[in-house]
Amino acid sequence: MAFDRFRQHRVAVASVWVLAFLAVTAAAAPLLSPYDPERTNLLLIFEAPSWSHPMGTDSLGRDLATRILFGGRVSLALGILVVSLALTIGVSVGAVAGYYGRAADAVLMRIVDMMYSFPRLFLLILFAVLFGGKLITVVVVLGILSWMTTARLVRATFLSVKHREYVEAARALGARDREIVIRHILPNSVAPIIVAGTLGVAGAILAESTLSFLGLGVQPPTPTWGNMLKDAQSDMSVAPWTAVFPGFAIFLAIVSINFIGDGLRDALDPRHPTKRSVDHG
Amino acid sequence: MHRVTSYVLRRLVGAVPLLLGISVISFAILKAVPGGPLAAYEANPNITPEDIVRLERAFGLDQPFHVQYLTWFGRLLGGDWGHSYASSQPVLAMIGERLPNTLTLMGTVYVVTLLIAIPIGVATATRQYSRFDHLVTGGTFLAYSMPPFWLGLLLIILFGLQLRWLPLGGMTVPGATSFDLVDRLRHLVLPVTTLALFGTAHYVRYLRASMLETIGQDYLRTARAKGLGERIVILRHALRNASIPLVTVAALDLPELFVGALVTEQIFGWPGMGRLFWDAATRADYPVLMGILVVSATLVVLANLAADVLYAYLDPRIRFA
Amino acid sequence: MAMFIFCACAPTATHTAPGGAAIANSGPVRGGTLVFSLWQEPAGLLPNFASQTVAGIVASLVVEGLTGTNSDGSYYPVLATQVPTLANGGVRLLAGGGMDVSYELIPNVRWSDGSAFTSADVKFTWETYLKDPKVITKDGYSAIEQIDTPTPTSVVLHYKQIYGPYLTRFTGLLPKSLEKEADLSRSEYNRKPIGTGPFRITEFVAGDHITAERNPTYRVPDRPYLDRIIFRSVPSREAAIAQLKAGEVDGMWNLLEAQVPEIAPDPKLRVIATAGATVERIELNLAKPADPADPAVRHPVLGDRAVRRALNLATPKQQIIDKLLFGKAQIGTSPVSQGWASPKGLAQEPYDPNLANKVLDEAGWVKGADGVRAKGGVRAALTIMTTSGDKVREQTEQVLIDEWKRVGIELSIRNLPSDVLLSGTFANDPRKRGNFDLVMYASTPGIDPQTTMLRYTTAGIPTTANGGAGQNFTRFANAEADAAIAGASATVDQPKRAELYARALKLLNDEIAIIWLYDRQTIDAFRATVRGPTGSVWLGITFNAQDWWIGR
Repeated sequence: MAFDRFRQHRVAVASVWVLAFLAVTAAAAPLLSPYDPERTNLLLIFEAPSWSHPMGTDSLGRDLATRILFGGRVSLALGILVVSLALTIGVSVGAVAGYYGRAADAVLMRIVDMMYSFPRLFLLILFAVLFGGKLITVVVVLGILSWMTTARLVRATFLSVKHREYVEAARALGARDREIVIRHILPNSVAPIIVAGTLGVAGAILAESTLSFLGLGVQPPTPTWGNMLKDAQSDMSVAPWTAVFPGFAIFLAIVSINFIGDGLRDALDPRHPTKRSVDHG
Repeated sequence: MHRVTSYVLRRLVGAVPLLLGISVISFAILKAVPGGPLAAYEANPNITPEDIVRLERAFGLDQPFHVQYLTWFGRLLGGDWGHSYASSQPVLAMIGERLPNTLTLMGTVYVVTLLIAIPIGVATATRQYSRFDHLVTGGTFLAYSMPPFWLGLLLIILFGLQLRWLPLGGMTVPGATSFDLVDRLRHLVLPVTTLALFGTAHYVRYLRASMLETIGQDYLRTARAKGLGERIVILRHALRNASIPLVTVAALDLPELFVGALVTEQIFGWPGMGRLFWDAATRADYPVLMGILVVSATLVVLANLAADVLYAYLDPRIRFA
Repeated sequence: MAMFIFCACAPTATHTAPGGAAIANSGPVRGGTLVFSLWQEPAGLLPNFASQTVAGIVASLVVEGLTGTNSDGSYYPVLATQVPTLANGGVRLLAGGGMDVSYELIPNVRWSDGSAFTSADVKFTWETYLKDPKVITKDGYSAIEQIDTPTPTSVVLHYKQIYGPYLTRFTGLLPKSLEKEADLSRSEYNRKPIGTGPFRITEFVAGDHITAERNPTYRVPDRPYLDRIIFRSVPSREAAIAQLKAGEVDGMWNLLEAQVPEIAPDPKLRVIATAGATVERIELNLAKPADPADPAVRHPVLGDRAVRRALNLATPKQQIIDKLLFGKAQIGTSPVSQGWASPKGLAQEPYDPNLANKVLDEAGWVKGADGVRAKGGVRAALTIMTTSGDKVREQTEQVLIDEWKRVGIELSIRNLPSDVLLSGTFANDPRKRGNFDLVMYASTPGIDPQTTMLRYTTAGIPTTANGGAGQNFTRFANAEADAAIAGASATVDQPKRAELYARALKLLNDEIAIIWLYDRQTIDAFRATVRGPTGSVWLGITFNAQDWWIGR
């Protein structure tokens, strides 16, 4: 049923294809491109887009298209990893706070408030400076800074559901906390979690590219869309294509994820006010 | 109103441990960052290791963490925000130099955003499912997904480097001796566009959704039935109610915008708080960094509080509990 | 990266400035405003309170000293009438091991606040540098026991010991009128210093601009030509270039070599590239990397001189210079590339990958199935570190990975932010810990090379035992070199010192402990209408700003 509703959201469906295309080409990058993303060629610096280099070359003579494909691997994988981490923390915190309430709730929600009150990017920059620009540290830092919304969503569901009759019934029948939480309460928050998670991937990709753009994200030579744009900053007046294509890749990924998120929201949560907000092709 | 005052007071008191926690954690992170403010001196062939030790002592960097924190905090309570390690300027004065510039930028962004978002939001909501509505909602998604720094770069390439219509950065033309509104506006165009696009998309979506919700409600039908013109119904009744969530969102967005200014200021050379933070971060200038974190965390707390109070004020169904 | 004390000195009119005089037909134009962009911002302008190159660019318009340094490393008098030496009697060695240095000051010089410049100001400067805890270095000032001021225009410095680099001190003087300030660094003078130079700071708007207006009390008649120089703060070099090309500014400070091709073809712009003292190098760890390393344990791969030789042979320095630096650099030969102590004829072997392969074959490093050499079970796999985000360095690494792969050496990258890699603290700095194979960075020697040379002494090896003191990161240890460097510091005889340094540097190069990549240039750019800037090896581009003018 939900799937049918999603299919009616034509832009979301198209976005799934776009994202799938990005993911598949990124995954198959070594098969698709004859070039090595890190192989430099000082004789081919700043070649304009041509048949042999459809997106031109960068300041080291590396094929930009190839680097965008390989960069997509990092950026997309990072988005998914960050969200997985954020969801794990967020669901755990939200579940504990919502289910046990009282002191646990008070303490955890204070922490959530505090995390919210930190200027996110400031903290991100400090962490990035502190832990350096390895993929794993960027993932952990972004994950640690993006679980709070999920925690609040899950907690809210728990608060509204935990005293419902079927939950009380399960408890009366001697079900353990763990079982109640996982079998009876958590499924109620799946829909908002999926939506939040999807949009979170977009947020993580954007955050990583912002960090990389500032020179604090994943370090070269590993290409990411963000650090390619950082290089482009100094090259854009000579070779504008170095700024146009990686930025467009980020834009394309984020816009399709946002559309998918919108479609999912329509499909999973029909009462949401932005229902059918975009339904043209 | 009495109840509101006590609510605000309670919330403010509640914010104190929050801000304390933030300051301790920030301080700890800063101290954990390797290098420190004297790192730049190490490469200087004229500075001896003895000089480094002496300077460490002069800045109190040889003290244990808790002593450094308590010293900083104690002075803060006394109204002394400390001095920059790099420039020796008082931190409060440094923030004071930059804050107005950031506020100018943010204020303009707010005005522009609302001026564009409100009419568009109203128009789309009244013409739901029209071609215009589809166009706008699609457009908001695109705008929403545009990485701001990329947009900034593209704007510079197009309007600064190619067309040469607008200045590439800065706040005034160099050498300007007096305030010139036209000049200031010319410098504002690109950074404001970069920041406002996202906000506009955000608000249009919110306004459209809440307008749609309001338009369908009974009292509007009543208003229409009373023979009021559609225009009045929409503007006087629907928009007023629909703007309640918008006010909240706008208040909650304040810190986001504040931070968003960091990247934008960096791209456009705007002499605001963002650049101050960036310079201080690269120099490990702890007193300045702590000052900015305290200011911005306070801003977040106040914005949250303002959002709640405003919301309750505009929507009489909510009581201060 | 290389941040050094700014030497705030501008020469007097006696120091010829070719740029101003070289213009034929139309003479210098008086008046006008020059806008110069800086992509870093000076934190403060007081001499000896900041360690920022960019601070010196601004401060040198205002602050002057007793002496200045010519591009060849020789000294010229600024506020003194002559440079004191042994030969002219300005320096007297004392029986007890100390020395006296006498300066005669130029009479009738005024500070920009109108007060007279006298010998008391020199003494006040010394006293401030000694007692203020925030000055960045007391080195050389603490070697002075007492300063006498027999007349307002003569000053005698009594040194406790022989201090070779005495002429590098007192390059930024403070007026005695500042003695009322309790904390100089926090006073308004840190942003608007009082000086004797051609300009004075009238406006300091943090993050936006600094305005320097002509100093009406400047002692040289008809100078400066310009009425005003405005330093505009921009976020990056890229922004500065764009503004220069768009005509929004008249000049910019400090370009990267790679940016020169963007500017050079434009007939409206002019690039000024000056040889600099900064030497980009790859230092090879002779000790086995550990945390911290024990200098007695040899590096399993780099401990073999044949490997080190091969690495140098397989490094295409000229290609790196041509392609990555657009020809704007010289192949490096030693850490002392400029000045009187710079040794001649110390070139390392030129690029020859075939010879590199041969050297490694002969040394018993055999290529395995994966193309990587090994010897006695040790794979020739190395890791290089440099400051992350530095484009040319990252590009160089890419080139080296490629080039060295061809001679069977596997190179991987582990870059760190400059504030970690170059932190200089024993706790964090991997160079100090000895926890690296290869590290690429740059270092800039002072005008006097002694501190730089201490980097190549056995005592300069950072260890746990010495608390991590010293900057001998390669762990090069050679008793003969130690003796030469020690000998050079114990004399004021300059030719003798130069010879001893050259001997030590030869020993260092024989070991191939360091691959000298290239000597960097400092590059600034101006609109072609700006006349006068010439550049200087030791001083910032603005050192002769009083001779700048804007033509038509």
